[in-house]
Amino acid sequence: MSDDSGLWLLALGPAGATALYWALYRYYRNTDKSHAFERETRVVAQPVTGSDGKVGDIKGTRESRIAGENGRAYRQRVERVRRDSG
Amino acid sequence: MSNPGPPSPPPVPPVSGPGSPQEVPPPPGSFPIDPESLPAPIRDELLAPDPVAIDTAAKELRDGLNHCPKCGATDIRHKPGSDLLVCLYCRNEWDGARVEEAFGLGEGHDQLRGTVVASGARDIAEDAASLMSFKCTGCGAEVTVNTENAMTARCHWCRHVFGINEQVANGAVPDAVLPFHIRKDDAVARIRQFVGKRRLFALKEFKEQFTPENVVGVYLPYMIVDANASADVAGKGEIKTREYQRGSGNNKTTYYDADVYRVERHVDFTVDDLPLESSSERGNLDTRANTNNIINTILPFDTRNAVKWNASYLAGYSSEKRNRDVAHLHPRLEDQLLSIARAQVEDSVRRYDRGVRWEQEQLDVHGSRWVSMYLPVWLYSYHQPGSNGGMLHYIAVNGRTGETMGSVPVQQWKLLLAALTTGTFIEGIVLTILANSS
Repeated sequence: MSDDSGLWLLALGPAGATALYWALYRYYRNTDKSHAFERETRVVAQPVTGSDGKVGDIKGTRESRIAGENGRAYRQRVERVRRDSG
Repeated sequence: MSNPGPPSPPPVPPVSGPGSPQEVPPPPGSFPIDPESLPAPIRDELLAPDPVAIDTAAKELRDGLNHCPKCGATDIRHKPGSDLLVCLYCRNEWDGARVEEAFGLGEGHDQLRGTVVASGARDIAEDAASLMSFKCTGCGAEVTVNTENAMTARCHWCRHVFGINEQVANGAVPDAVLPFHIRKDDAVARIRQFVGKRRLFALKEFKEQFTPENVVGVYLPYMIVDANASADVAGKGEIKTREYQRGSGNNKTTYYDADVYRVERHVDFTVDDLPLESSSERGNLDTRANTNNIINTILPFDTRNAVKWNASYLAGYSSEKRNRDVAHLHPRLEDQLLSIARAQVEDSVRRYDRGVRWEQEQLDVHGSRWVSMYLPVWLYSYHQPGSNGGMLHYIAVNGRTGETMGSVPVQQWKLLLAALTTGTFIEGIVLTILANSS
């Protein structure tokens, strides 16, 4: 797995310290909590409709995920399109 | 040991992005690090049980008046742990009408058109005063009620109790109220349990001054919204077609080929009883300045069981007045509806195994129905001194379900020390491994 003699392992110490700091900080202060209305509200939805069309392909990328993925970041707003006729 | 070197983490979390209340919250009880890998004292705190939230769905309720229907006395109180009102004079007990049936709020979501506003949710008149005075019919004395924080007052001469039952234009009288079900001693026990799980790194002064018996029952103002909406989202999705490695030996690199699709989705949906804070102060969830996100987290309430407004439910509790109108809250509603729509379409894009990037979204709110409501919250607060007036830390217990959430101030040096020690320990292991391998 290692690229060059495992020097990247040295980053584990600082990374572990930072991870533990933030995990415990949030456990005490709960700054990341809010009303999970996406899953705690009664929603009745009609079946989802839509279309999928192939528009291109990518060859030889090193990224394992799509750039700017936001499929699960429900609260991240993207460009809002307004209908002209109100 | 050498090379401890972890950088000091910044003390304040970001306001947006990961770790803020603007982000989708993690599932309850989850912790990013496996607790089994942590030292015993920390692990014990993490694995201790959370206060249990009980489900108080569907209780049958009926109507109530401010005079005792049996003897006519006004000395009426809410009976703790129930939705009953009790007359302190003749001990008669009775209960209030559920607004869900009385106003037909539980049905017709898909027929909603336009903005329907219940009478208690109407716009606040600018000149409406929050102080209201009554002439006591018993003795003629003047009795004043400050609607900023109370809805009842007792005539100190003849002990008649006055409640504000007619709807006044200052926004203090809602359409409905959800009475407290969780008793005070129950709330105290939950707060004790919650803090008991968070003592190791808690601020010393907080632990010394911890007196959960000082918890206050507060009725907070909310708008409960039903909505009928359609949403369209469009973006790109990618499906992996090939995965291969180039290079040899230690210099292998993984490459991917993928097909790119344009993805469009449409969903029609209705939302039942979405609660929105109708006080500008409570609606501000900036974790740098306040801990209102704690109170936001204990939502939702079983608002289906709310009863028609009767000031007697508020006797002995304090209340906060609404200061936000429907128009102010509309952007927030649209934002939450879009988030719900995005959550709804997620299942339909699972085939894109490299993920989806939404680029455009559109929302049509066909109709919405707004009802103002007082919801019951047990609040414990601790003021941590500091710059800019310090920070007010809340621990809140949902007055219906018992869901408990809180912000416990941390002793920074202890937390940093624990993090540095852990970092040094890991670094030590790494150095040992490296030394042995070379």
